[in-house]
Amino acid sequence: MARREMPNPMAERTRLATAGAHAAVVGNLGKQPRGDVWRGNLFLALLLLAVVLALIGLIALIVQSALKGAPAFSMDLFTEGPSIVNPETAGFRPAIIGSLYLIAGVVLLIVPLGVGAAVYLEEYADGDRWWNRLIELNIQNLAAVPSIIYGILGLAFFVRGPLSLGFVVAAGSLTLALLVLPTVILAAREAIRAVPPSIRDGSLALGATQWQTIRRQVLPASIPGIVTGVILAVSRALGEAAPLLLVGAATFVTADQPNPFEGGYSAMPVQIYNYALQAQDEFKALAAAGVVVMLVVLLALNSFAIWLRNRYEQQW
Amino acid sequence: MLDKVADRAGKAAGGASGRAKAPGIDVSGVREAGQADRRGSMSKSDRGTIFELRDLTVKYGGTPAVKDVSMEIAAGEITALIGPSGCGKSTLIRCFNRMNDLIPSARVEGSCLYHGQDLYGPEVDPVEVRKRIGMVFQKPNPFPKSIKDNIAFGPKVLGLDDIEGRVERALHGAALWDEVKDRLDENAYSMSGGQQQRLCIARCIAVDPEVILMDEPCSALDPISTGKIEDLMMELKENYSIVIVTHNMQQAARVSDRTAFLIVELDAEERDRWGQLIEYDVTDKIFTNPADSRTEDYVTGKVG
Repeated sequence: MARREMPNPMAERTRLATAGAHAAVVGNLGKQPRGDVWRGNLFLALLLLAVVLALIGLIALIVQSALKGAPAFSMDLFTEGPSIVNPETAGFRPAIIGSLYLIAGVVLLIVPLGVGAAVYLEEYADGDRWWNRLIELNIQNLAAVPSIIYGILGLAFFVRGPLSLGFVVAAGSLTLALLVLPTVILAAREAIRAVPPSIRDGSLALGATQWQTIRRQVLPASIPGIVTGVILAVSRALGEAAPLLLVGAATFVTADQPNPFEGGYSAMPVQIYNYALQAQDEFKALAAAGVVVMLVVLLALNSFAIWLRNRYEQQW
Repeated sequence: MLDKVADRAGKAAGGASGRAKAPGIDVSGVREAGQADRRGSMSKSDRGTIFELRDLTVKYGGTPAVKDVSMEIAAGEITALIGPSGCGKSTLIRCFNRMNDLIPSARVEGSCLYHGQDLYGPEVDPVEVRKRIGMVFQKPNPFPKSIKDNIAFGPKVLGLDDIEGRVERALHGAALWDEVKDRLDENAYSMSGGQQQRLCIARCIAVDPEVILMDEPCSALDPISTGKIEDLMMELKENYSIVIVTHNMQQAARVSDRTAFLIVELDAEERDRWGQLIEYDVTDKIFTNPADSRTEDYVTGKVG
């Protein structure tokens, strides 16, 4: 018995040697003070509340639009033109086509311009020069300029003034492209910057020129990021009404768009705005149905962008 | 002191008779001269000098990173640059293929002659230089493409023919063919680190350079992969001149024919620091009987 209680001398020495450290660890890592726990939980609750409020807003919007728009849901939405007298057969057909035209124009404009500007700023510009810094600063500021200002710019420069295109789809595309260009440039720069310098070094060390390096290594590697940026920009352009009102997206276009440089055009957000202004509830339902269509398209676009980003996320 | 170093360097490469001096700026002629040298089964010192540095100084934004380096690098040999961190050995090796051009603030003074022609001459195109002088980097940097496309990239952008054949020969040359011949279309990032580095060597030799620069090629690799790369270097030596920066003295002792030792020099107020070439000689001599006590302290592990 007594023998068994005799501590192993080595173990005892170890225990004594580490006793101080043990005490210190227990002292420091022991129970959290009550107040800390309480404050931590409160903070967590506030964060959750913020998330829930944001989500409630979105869900309420979707549910309310869906409920209000339910009576108006039919294929007429996509096949019929607008009307202010006959809500039963009124639809969004010219507006949808107009929006598609606008977006096609926007994509055609922002991809070369946005990628070109981003390549210049990331690969060629010397960031120490004042003019390059000025360009950078301006692009960041332009991304935050209210859209109505772009509408006025479009009216003055594209519809009238130097280009004098008139109230046509092309003017709308140009205006929307200007509006989202800063976002595209910023996203493309981000994507290009994410390509590690070691890839450029490897390519240049083989005797490739700078342009070959950009074209065959840097751009292919940054395409997912660039495409993501373009999709997000397109979804913003798709939802803009304010600048379009200024550059002539007329509400009552009944014929389809034959020519982007001729004739009036309409767009989804403008058409929704107009239906919502009508007195009859049937038109308000039409507006709500239009909102649902747009939300579905926008959510699909954004989901695709997120999927794309995750799918091609590169581990260097 | 510097003169003595330069002298010694001169003597070390002293036997280098018949150095291929290319007239004019026709670099393709230079290349043939180099290859002719390689084909001959001459003794080491007879293969000629490939690089000659004269008072080479590299500055970053006005502050020197290496100062007044003069040395000759022999063709067909492995030349190692060793020294403590910050001694400018990586800066120095990046002079040989003008990779320092990519750093906007970098300025190169003095001259770096390649077969007698100044690489920093006004009429020299850095892209042409890099076609002839390949480089392998510290961290394996395969392109985010398939194994095959990684190697085909160089020949394609240079407009060379027989891409398929080049890919296969390069993989054989880098002792990688047997390991990857069945998965040439897989992404290069699916390979191990050591394989990735050998892929980078294969990529480099696929464009038939005359010189391969290696900037600490094994520092990110385990000992077994390192051993494979070292074996590979011994084979590549037959066809290419190799300059290697290494922080691993044993590696320099194992693979190199000549070794240059650089140190970090401080100015009187200890404000500026730069790299300086201390001793350059046959590797055996550097490691067994160095002329400078600082070299001895470093290679015997007393400092550094």
